[in-house]
Amino acid sequence: MNALPAMAPRHWPARLRLGFSVRAGETLLSERRHQGPLRVQRPFYPESREVCHVYLLHPPGGLVSGDELQIDIEVGRDAWALLTTPGAGKVYGSDGQGVRQQQTLRIARGGTLEWLPQEMILFDGARAELGTRVELEGDARFLGWEISCLGRPASHEPLRHGDLRQRFELWHDGRPLWLERSHYRDQSPVFTAAWGLRGHSVLGTLVCSPVAEGLAAGLREWLPPCDGALCAITQRDGVLLVRYLGDSAEQARNHLGTAWRWLREAVLGRHAVPPRIWNC
Amino acid sequence: MVMGMATGITMTEAPHALALVRLLQLVSPALPVGAYAYSQGLEQAVQAGWIRDEASAGDWITGLLEHNLGQLDAPLLLRLHRAWSHADHDQVDYWCRYLCAARETAELRSEDRQTGTALARLLVDLDCAAARAWVTHPDVNWPAMFALAAVHWQVPADTAALGYLWAWYENQVAAAIKLVPLGQTAGQRILVTCAARIPAIATAAAGCEDEDIGQLAAALVMASAWHETQYSRLFRS
Repeated sequence: MNALPAMAPRHWPARLRLGFSVRAGETLLSERRHQGPLRVQRPFYPESREVCHVYLLHPPGGLVSGDELQIDIEVGRDAWALLTTPGAGKVYGSDGQGVRQQQTLRIARGGTLEWLPQEMILFDGARAELGTRVELEGDARFLGWEISCLGRPASHEPLRHGDLRQRFELWHDGRPLWLERSHYRDQSPVFTAAWGLRGHSVLGTLVCSPVAEGLAAGLREWLPPCDGALCAITQRDGVLLVRYLGDSAEQARNHLGTAWRWLREAVLGRHAVPPRIWNC
Repeated sequence: MVMGMATGITMTEAPHALALVRLLQLVSPALPVGAYAYSQGLEQAVQAGWIRDEASAGDWITGLLEHNLGQLDAPLLLRLHRAWSHADHDQVDYWCRYLCAARETAELRSEDRQTGTALARLLVDLDCAAARAWVTHPDVNWPAMFALAAVHWQVPADTAALGYLWAWYENQVAAAIKLVPLGQTAGQRILVTCAARIPAIATAAAGCEDEDIGQLAAALVMASAWHETQYSRLFRS
């Protein structure tokens, strides 16, 4: 009966919780709970019943002020899930409030998660906190990436205003294994500095763990360079990293996708079967 | 305070004066930890043509000091200093691991391990018993051992942070003098101009919340990763 104040801040939470488990050698999407506009389609099995492919959908198509998305993925013991999205995520310019998207990916002993979302486009003026936290238990395996477009490359409208905090973190048995954090604020020197983004707008990071000593050398031999972009491979503490810094989300996807195909065979021991949705 | 009878100069009290002298020992390029062997991506940045002269060298080093070290090393050094001061080993372990996890490339990680191990060994030889366990610890790193040395020698946290930043800064300028190359006077000019910002960077680091620790320097990370396979090189990072 109390009317909301006319200028009440908009708050639109959405949650999605997925659980994968194994029954008779088959990975099942055994738990699926959602609240607000976050969905999944029915799972696909394009390669075998052992690997469950799922597409995450956010039907509104972009995040606006006050949106808060929380995605929790649990990959149970010995389960194998591959997650992707049918299109780019978007964070629009803010009219004051920020948006939050927090993704927690837990992988139990013996489990495998491939996390291959399409890029997140951050429009000029966006205010957002975007976090992906991967938690590995024991010998659990992770192969995934995050790709960010700061501004809209196609329209040459770079992001120069706003406030973005991004985190991509890998934890193993409760201890941090790899942490990457970025904070982009209005007119920050990070955008143009020689040591920073160098005026580039697309940043992609692929992470694979655990990997055997010396794996980076093999991938370096095989992975072709990217015209006009900076790409690098390194490996530390059993974590292999492939990084892209350039101006094309498509080029970033292709580059990291090529690395993914090689790593899938070399590390996960399975021939790469690209999700069908990437081809359409 | 003690007034010098002959000069009229007021000297700092003995404990603080001694702490300052100890800090000078710790940040000296003569400290035998091999810091001079590392350029932290600067060699590759010169190779790539990103650093060509005094101005671009100054921008590179000062920018990283403020946005990379100021937001990662310095806040962690302060936390480690507090943890060592309270003999809080859980916190020491936690922030040590945290720092290792935040190092972006194989070379930056191994540099940290090598200089950290060298300092741990030296501290053991200088009767700092707490360093003993760290000589072979998998998460040993430079900031953690620097913080331990500072606590052992009663150097306060804020002063230790200034010294840490200065030591990195001087080492980077020395690398730039060799690699760009720059004249000695140009090197001193960079030091004078940009060192004026170190106090503000240390103050900002003291106000850094846990969730704000860390800032990716994307091109630095690329340069450091490329350096791992650079054919001909003077430096180990």
